[in-house]
Parts: sequence; structure tokens; C-alpha cells
Amino acid sequence: MSQPDDTQRNGTALRLYAAAVVVFLLLPIAVAAAVAFNNGERPDFPPAQMSLRWFASVLHSDLLMDGLCKSVIIAVASTVLSAVAGSAAAIAINHHRFAGRTLIQTFLMLPIALPAIVLGLGMLFSLPMLGLNVGLVAATLGHAVLGIPYVIAMVLASLANFDRSLERASLNLGVGPARTFFRITLPHIRPGVIAGAIAAFLLSMDNISLSLFITRNDTLPLRLMQHMLSYTDPSVAAMSVMLLLISLVLLPFIARTRLG
Amino acid sequence: MQRSAYAPWIWLFPAGALLIPFFLLPLAIVVRNSVYFDDPQGLTVPAFTTANYLKVLTDPYYVKVLSNTLLVAAISTVVSLLVAFPFAQFVVRTSDSARNLLLWCVYVPLYVSVIMRAFGWTIILADSGLINHLLLRLGLIDAPLRMLFEAEGMMVGMIHRYLPLMIIPLITALQKIDGNLLKASGNLGASGARTFLRVTLPMSVPGMVAGGQLVFAGVLSDYAMPALMGSTKFQLIAPAIYYEAITNSSWALAGAMATVVLGLVASFLIAANLLLKRLAPWALTL
Repeated sequence: MSQPDDTQRNGTALRLYAAAVVVFLLLPIAVAAAVAFNNGERPDFPPAQMSLRWFASVLHSDLLMDGLCKSVIIAVASTVLSAVAGSAAAIAINHHRFAGRTLIQTFLMLPIALPAIVLGLGMLFSLPMLGLNVGLVAATLGHAVLGIPYVIAMVLASLANFDRSLERASLNLGVGPARTFFRITLPHIRPGVIAGAIAAFLLSMDNISLSLFITRNDTLPLRLMQHMLSYTDPSVAAMSVMLLLISLVLLPFIARTRLG
Repeated sequence: MQRSAYAPWIWLFPAGALLIPFFLLPLAIVVRNSVYFDDPQGLTVPAFTTANYLKVLTDPYYVKVLSNTLLVAAISTVVSLLVAFPFAQFVVRTSDSARNLLLWCVYVPLYVSVIMRAFGWTIILADSGLINHLLLRLGLIDAPLRMLFEAEGMMVGMIHRYLPLMIIPLITALQKIDGNLLKASGNLGASGARTFLRVTLPMSVPGMVAGGQLVFAGVLSDYAMPALMGSTKFQLIAPAIYYEAITNSSWALAGAMATVVLGLVASFLIAANLLLKRLAPWALTL
């Protein structure tokens, strides 16, 4: 869009409106964050007295720490799988023209749109067929499926301005295809791979609807959900604040690629 | 890299190795189970029946669950669109630094845990929560309004969860509109409103469709929001599927409900893409 001029200026009313939307988007997060610093037993807002006791309580909770551990293992392992499978698939789609390419691209993006709860229900039956049980391995494979489209989208975005003659020049100079990939292609798509991997990692850490079926209800989001449904203390908020910090550290990597 | 015919298939192999056994196969099994019988021992008997679908589509309980879900998905999509459009337009028109700040405010909630967002809303919407406290103080109400654990409160949480997914594609679509088009329209004598209706609105259709698909499909199959903020009197389909499967071991019935959800999402995605082809033939679809 060109420079704003008289026909397209943001008036005061629109400014106030935008501010209201921002408040709507951030208010529940800010409130939950503030509640985490309560000193009392109840999630009061604003907290009558500030303390870090609920952070200490969360760090000493075996259930939550075990859940955090399992969630991190699942998220890291599934992210690696999604990153490899998604990047390779993006290269296939970007570099090659083959029968059924559009159809395959649509199929690869389906896990974003199709309900994870349906997938989970089916995995309860498909896992035993493949000799697997619910647990860490099953959750890793399931979450990897959900991460693939995000990696593909980000890697395709970083391939959009990639000059393939660089690859051809490298091959013509007698450099092998593997070396060409690692020295030319991979460095170029690295920001896309990282952005896609981070998106996949954060979505795995937060997954509920698929984990419900393919874990023993022992990942962090499921443990937090159970806690929230049975107790009304600020520990869910305290744990959430720690997770929020992880998101805030990782988010700039996604934003950079997404927004160009 | 290599110029061989099977090169693309080598690159596609890892994704296929994950998606065929852990995506395609489970979905196929859900559809297959939906035409089997549930027996009282919690097993599925492999004999063809349409009884599960008949139950899901005619039994008042399941019809209510389905219509509740469609209602919530439709309202959330429309409200998100109405809220997001002026906001997206503001973001596109504002200065670069303000735009980056606003985009950050849109992206952050997307990557904050759903539990934290639901927890925040329970504090805000509870009977003794922020809003009721404020309204009581101002003397606008005598008794606290009941919002939490009601359909209305859950819908607020739902819209909060999916609003960024409407805003982002809308911003992308609006950014693509050439400012000269708007100037040309003005120079040719069109009023601001007419320019909006004839230029801005049609050209933002791809963003509306992409956002609508994400919000509608997301809300339709959301488990966390109804589980954490919903009412037992106003059931949605995702928790109902989980209940039938895990608590009742009615796998075939759960399969039929899941297949209906799958069919609804799929037909919505296809219909939206067809609509897009008609209204905005220049735009690439998902």
C-alpha cells in the first residue's frame, strides 16, 4: 500500500477501536500473569499481596514437573521429525513438477484444517495395528503430523526468492548433490526451517485435543487442565507465566519469517 | 537436484512415512468404525450398519449438540470477521513502527497456551470476577451476571482464541491492494463508501475466506474451550465425542460423530474454495 493520504487516514474513532481490540487480545493474558503473583490461596485480581510462592509451589509439584518433562520430550522429538519431513516435502513441491503435485500439496496441508480430535480417535485404533501403544512415542508421531504443514508453509516462503541456478552451478562445478544441498540449499532455507520448527514446538507444547487420546493424560497441558478443573488456586497461572516466557523468547524467530 | 523422475518422491518420502500411517490411516479407521456396531462389552463389531448415523442425525441429544456446535462456529466466524476487518484495515494504514507493535499483539496470544487464556477469562468473567465487580461498583446491576460456565462466556473465550487467525489473513489480503487503485477510484468520482464497497471489499475476499476457514474449522472441533469454560447444559461436539469414546466406549458412535465433524469441515473448506474461485478468481487458494 502507498503512503497514507487524505482518503485513507486512520481517524480517532478507529484508533480507539484498534486499542480496544488490543486490550481484548492481551487482557486475559495480563490478568492471568498478574494472578500468578498472588500470596493468598485464591486467584485474586489484583493480588492483595504479591509473592512468588505459587512459582515455588509449581516447581515442587511432581505432577506438573513430570508433565513438563514429558511435554518437552514430545515437543522436541516431534519438532525434529516435522522439520525434516516438512523441509524435504517443501523442496519436492518447490523444485519439481510431477503428477499429482497440487493434490499432494493440499494433502500435506490438511493436518492444519482437519480436526485433531478425529485424528486422535482414529489413532487409538491405528496405533495397536502398528504395534504401538499410547505414550511418548505415539504422542511424538502424532504431534509430528500436526507440525508438518507449518514447516512446509514457512520453508516454501523462504524458497520463494531462491535462485535455483546456484544449485545448478554447484552441480556443474562437480560438487555432489548432498554437498550442494548442505552448502547451498539448506543455508538459504534455514530461517524458514527454524521458524517452522518453532511454530511446531510451541503448538506441540500446547496440544490438548490430540494428546487426550494418545497419551496417558500426563502431558503438561492435560495436567494443567485437570488441575484447573479441580482446584481454584493460582498455580495454573504461575506455570503459564513460565511457559509464556518460553513463547516470548521464541516468537521473534517466527515473526521475522512470517512478516518478511 | 537430480534430474531423475523419482527425485521428488525421495524428497516426499519422510512426510509420506509420517502422514500415511499416522494421519491417513487413523482417519480411514474412524470412517470405517462409524458403520460398525458397538457391543455392550465396549468392542466394535465389524458388521455394516447405518444406525450410528441415524442416531447422530435424529436423536434429540445429538442433534442439539450438533446444532449448538454449528451455531457457535457460525457466530464466532461472523463476529471474528466483523471485529477483525476494521482492525486489519487500521493495521495496514498505520505507520511501520505502530504496525509492528500491533502485529506483535496479534501474534502473542496465538502462541500463549490455551490454558492460560482460558484461566485469564475465568478470572475476568467469574461471578465475583472483574466485569461483575466493575458493574456492581458502578451500580449498573444488582446481582452478578452469570457468564462463566455459560455458552456466552465460552463464546468470548472461543472468539479470543481464534480472532488472530482471522486478523492475519485479512492483513495479508489488504496489504496486497495497490493504493493507486483506491486513488483512481476516488479520482473517478467514487465516494469513500463506494470505493470501499467496489474495491477494498472485493479485493479482501481471499483474506476473509482464508480466515473464515481457519476460524470455522477451529471452533467446530475445539475441545479445550468448552471443557474449561463451557456449560454442561450447552454441549459441543468435541467433548461429546471424547465422552462417547473414552467414558462410554461407544467407539462406533463416536466414529459416526467424528465423521460428521470431518464431513462438515471438509465441505466448508471446499465450499469456501469454490466461493473464492467465483468471487476472487485471481487469488490462489490454500
